[in-house]
Amino acid sequence: MQLKFEDIKKRFGSLEVIQDFSTEVADGELVALVGPSGCGKSTLLHLAAGLEKPSEGRVLADGKMITAPNPQRTLVFQEHALYPWLTLKANVAMALELQNVSKKQAFAEAEGWLERVSLKGFEHYYPHQVSGGMRQRTALARAFMVKPQILLLDEPFGALDALTRMALQDVLQELIAEHKPSVMLVTHDVDEALYLADRILVFSQRPARVLKEFRFEHCERSHDQSGVAQQRKEILSLLGIKTEVHA
Amino acid sequence: MSQGRRLTGPKKYLAVVLAVLFILLIWQTAAWSLPDFLMPDIPVVLARLFQSVQEQEFLDGLLGSMSRLGTGYGFAMLFGIGFGLIGGVLFFFRETLRTAIIILQSIPSIAWVPLFLIVMGFGNLPIIVVVALGAFFPMALSVMNATESVQPVHVSAARVMGASRWQLLKRVYLPAVMPELITGAQLAFGNAWRALISAEMLIGFGEGLGRSLAYSGEIADMVGVMTNILVIAILATLIDQVILEKFKQRVLRYQYV
Repeated sequence: MQLKFEDIKKRFGSLEVIQDFSTEVADGELVALVGPSGCGKSTLLHLAAGLEKPSEGRVLADGKMITAPNPQRTLVFQEHALYPWLTLKANVAMALELQNVSKKQAFAEAEGWLERVSLKGFEHYYPHQVSGGMRQRTALARAFMVKPQILLLDEPFGALDALTRMALQDVLQELIAEHKPSVMLVTHDVDEALYLADRILVFSQRPARVLKEFRFEHCERSHDQSGVAQQRKEILSLLGIKTEVHA
Repeated sequence: MSQGRRLTGPKKYLAVVLAVLFILLIWQTAAWSLPDFLMPDIPVVLARLFQSVQEQEFLDGLLGSMSRLGTGYGFAMLFGIGFGLIGGVLFFFRETLRTAIIILQSIPSIAWVPLFLIVMGFGNLPIIVVVALGAFFPMALSVMNATESVQPVHVSAARVMGASRWQLLKRVYLPAVMPELITGAQLAFGNAWRALISAEMLIGFGEGLGRSLAYSGEIADMVGVMTNILVIAILATLIDQVILEKFKQRVLRYQYV
């Protein structure tokens, strides 16, 4: 499914968050939004999810205007989005139950999905009993189980330590390769964007506008970023990070 | 729960037993220092209690009190939870209702008895309404206040998964406010119980604990007074500490693992 932003402006009261944003996420493409925190990237995801409405402009999914949330477009949050009163299995199953799938079938599918993200044996644990990485694995299972055509990721691994984050990026990458949704990924982590994205949009401070766009169609990607070292340097300097060698 | 922050096992039971013994000691001390017709001894009261529970009249009274309590408290729970949850999603309604509750709950529910007696007539109904009023306010207020602290991300996550308004209430708001709801239910029970006994004493309709207590007082039967007080104390403690506590541990199981 294709996702299109047309001349989006978004204001919260007098605060201008997004100043004229347009882009298209092609079917199966993964676009990463990188920029300073609080610049309005997450707001773009909320617009695409249908949780909020743009002040001006339109967001379209396959040509149809987005007005309300729809399970075809799933959003994964940074953390705390699992329900503490439900076990991991019940958390995942809820995604199907809310679509009126029978409880029995939802739980059976949830079990399979937990196994898919290597959480077999943890079905009956509550979120507070497992690590942050395991919680985000659960969140990914919950998101993919409804087979979304558009996947919106709002700093999904932002609260994890670097090693866990890389492991989860691989889990995410496999799941995306299997199910081929169109993806919009908001992240602070330039390396995460470089590792996963087909295209990276670098944003300015609020009000957000795109400073530069990078395409990575035929690059070799690895966690050591050796294939994209040049682009990495450029993105970091756009974000105001010094890239000279210090003594 | 981490160790050392609460008593468990035998120590906890010991604390409970000590508290009960302490109360009984004060009672018995009073009984020793006052003449029998003013303050009866514990064994005398226990003997009367034992005799009473075998009498149909006493059991009917107990049943009457319990059914008035159950009806009033039940309605209060239903409406309190309902209004509280609706207030959680309709912000204007919430502010209006909250202000109304804050004003109304400053009036002890027993104060309405003269009015209700005339409007509803002499019978079960005014007692039930007084019980329901006493319990409704803390119930609605705790649920409503708790809905404000429901995490926005929990609501957003459910909306993204396609939850309807009704599903949001049932699957997100209700479980999220459950801890405060149960605290509210315990608070509401205390109010309901006090309202029940006072209303029964005041109205003196039919059979019931409050009626029987008031009557014993009128005929200067102190053994009867203390027996009724004992029954009131035992019942309330049982309902609150056994039934409501068990319910709490069951519903909030996830907090105890």
